[in-house]
Amino acid sequence: MNRWTTALAVTAASALLLTGCGRTDGPAGPDASKGAIDSEPATGDITIWAMGNEGEVLKELATQFEDANPDASVTVTAVPWESAHDRIATSIAGGETPDISMLGTTWVGEFAATGALEPTPEGLVDEGDFFEGSWGTAVVDDVAYGVPWYVDTRVLYYRTDMAEAAGVEAPETWDEYTAFAKALKDEGATSGVSLPPGGFDSWQYVAPLAWQAGGDILSEDGTEFTFDTPEWKEAFEFYKSFFDDGVAEPVRLEGGEIEQKFIDGSVGSFFSGPFHVGLLLEQGGPDFADKFAVAEVPGDKSRTSFTGGGNLAVFNDSENRDAAWKFVRWLSEPETQIEWYGISTDLPSTEAAYDDATFSEDPYLSVFADQLTDSKAPPAIATWAQVSAVIDQELEKVTRGETSVDDALASIQQQAESIGTGQ
Amino acid sequence: MTAVTTRAARRPPPSRASRKQTRIAWGFAAPFMVLFLVFMAGPIVASLAMSFTDLTTRDLRTPFNVNLVGLDNYVRLFQDERFVHSLLNTGVFVIVGVPVTIVLAMLVALALNTGINKFRTVFRVGYYAPVVTSIVAIAIVWKFILQPDGLLNGFLGVFGISGPNWLEDTTWALPSLILMAVWRNIGTLMVIFLAGLQGVPKEHHEAAMVDGANVVQRFFNVTLPAMRPTLLFAAVITGIGFLQFFEEPFVMTRGGPLDATLSSAMYTFNQFGFGNYSYASAASYVLFLAIVLLSLIQFRLLKKED
Repeated sequence: MNRWTTALAVTAASALLLTGCGRTDGPAGPDASKGAIDSEPATGDITIWAMGNEGEVLKELATQFEDANPDASVTVTAVPWESAHDRIATSIAGGETPDISMLGTTWVGEFAATGALEPTPEGLVDEGDFFEGSWGTAVVDDVAYGVPWYVDTRVLYYRTDMAEAAGVEAPETWDEYTAFAKALKDEGATSGVSLPPGGFDSWQYVAPLAWQAGGDILSEDGTEFTFDTPEWKEAFEFYKSFFDDGVAEPVRLEGGEIEQKFIDGSVGSFFSGPFHVGLLLEQGGPDFADKFAVAEVPGDKSRTSFTGGGNLAVFNDSENRDAAWKFVRWLSEPETQIEWYGISTDLPSTEAAYDDATFSEDPYLSVFADQLTDSKAPPAIATWAQVSAVIDQELEKVTRGETSVDDALASIQQQAESIGTGQ
Repeated sequence: MTAVTTRAARRPPPSRASRKQTRIAWGFAAPFMVLFLVFMAGPIVASLAMSFTDLTTRDLRTPFNVNLVGLDNYVRLFQDERFVHSLLNTGVFVIVGVPVTIVLAMLVALALNTGINKFRTVFRVGYYAPVVTSIVAIAIVWKFILQPDGLLNGFLGVFGISGPNWLEDTTWALPSLILMAVWRNIGTLMVIFLAGLQGVPKEHHEAAMVDGANVVQRFFNVTLPAMRPTLLFAAVITGIGFLQFFEEPFVMTRGGPLDATLSSAMYTFNQFGFGNYSYASAASYVLFLAIVLLSLIQFRLLKKED
């Protein structure tokens, strides 16, 4: 009964709530960093939580850190993605946090608001070494919490053989994109491009369109939502057009289905992160490598893509914070990240790493490297999960013809305003 | 009455041996009592308290900073279209799911209780297997069955019917999930009903047969009345199960399409995920009250008449 674990932990901390005295001094403000980190070798025990594949293979990399810092030892705990959010929330409520945790980029705002994360110490890393969009995922109200560890960005996967037969090339603009998807459909694909018709995480497909049109999620000063703008309207209408024209089947393909349909040609193109390269090469067999390619996402005013990934954050209650930050610093060095790519196939968050032949000479990875220079993450606000769920829901109403674009956007704006940014 | 009182009055004070026995009994019960108080009763009470506050993720480290907001969360819940919608969906799960499950499970139990003695074990295992199988494994198999070009539509195709995309269709998604949940729950009830059926005294059936009652008459006049307590139990646990409907939509549809399969338990779960702990607690208390209410109604309807 995983779903109640958070409830259990929260309640443990709140058992005395009835006598609570009320929020007097506002939400917990950011605790200041506890000073710079020196360059002496790390010592002592470091505990780190990592999710998914990262949790499985991080120990391999950590061993190298231990070799270089003989007095330090790293304990990696693998946490399944499904329960990770609850578990971190639980550990914060119970004051039992590890030293470091990997965080999904969209969680940073929420957990930073609890005051449990320590701001990145001055001079630990150089902000300029990281992709701008990626660094942004760690920043809440102008304060950085932790550092980006690896990145994930969306590119367009498409069938080169079908595109060639149809006489089209990878699209660079929205117009070309529409024509491209239609051409692939004419070549026999059921979906020229596979897009989710709404529902869970479909905001990740439509938000980049708004960015490409020159819009954004929050106003410049970060205080107001801007869903009721012409840019979002363009984005929603463009997204909807694929379903209206029958170029995209209104079917949600989960992992496992999409590869199969791409390989058998019923899906002509789709958007995904770097992990699909390996999956397709593996499942498509040796001949399939020549039949697909990746390209930067098509665009309007810009070709901005969505970026996500994993950040590393150190908790305020860490008992070995110096060593923890040293480990984080080491993990974010370009050389370590190149090594890490070999172990985990996670893309480096530092630009310098892409100068390495592993990335610059690879036909797939070099595209990701280019795309990363124009990628954006949603704002690190505490309520993002909730706001984005509203986008998912309203987008689905639009693609299924239940509501108009104007009404959907007005509803998103109104609901987002009532949810607030959590400040 | 007097007899009872006098007997109680005459009862000697508990001997040392029996007091020792009592202590031993408490000793055995203690670990459970402690676990129950810490992990069940505590959170249940705290969660109720939480539902009257504005606790969210931001207050995790500083729970004393929250405000008491009285019934605000409950008022908000009933103004929240999605929550009300989820309650209606849950109502449909219960109203359709519970009777269908009970009737089908009863038919299966009757069949297994009478004929085909040889294969009884095989059938029992067959019907019980879904109950013990992991829901995730089941969900994957059912997704294949319910796909547009899946097994079910292939089967319908034989008769010239072209079936819908079951899980992506707002009309069919909910019935599809109910179908699956019913199939999964039959096993549990079947076992309970089998036990109940075997508890019906043979003599009653024989007496009815002598009076010339046929199979159907005997079922309604002998078996069913004798099974009343069993039926009550079955109705209550199935009702609670369907009110807490969660895994099927969570794994198969995430509540979609367009919230057609969003259940109250799933909605509550989502709110916990957003860090709205106080709001989610209020939602779980609404569900809790619904369960109490439904159980009371069932007791009223099915209670054995003395």
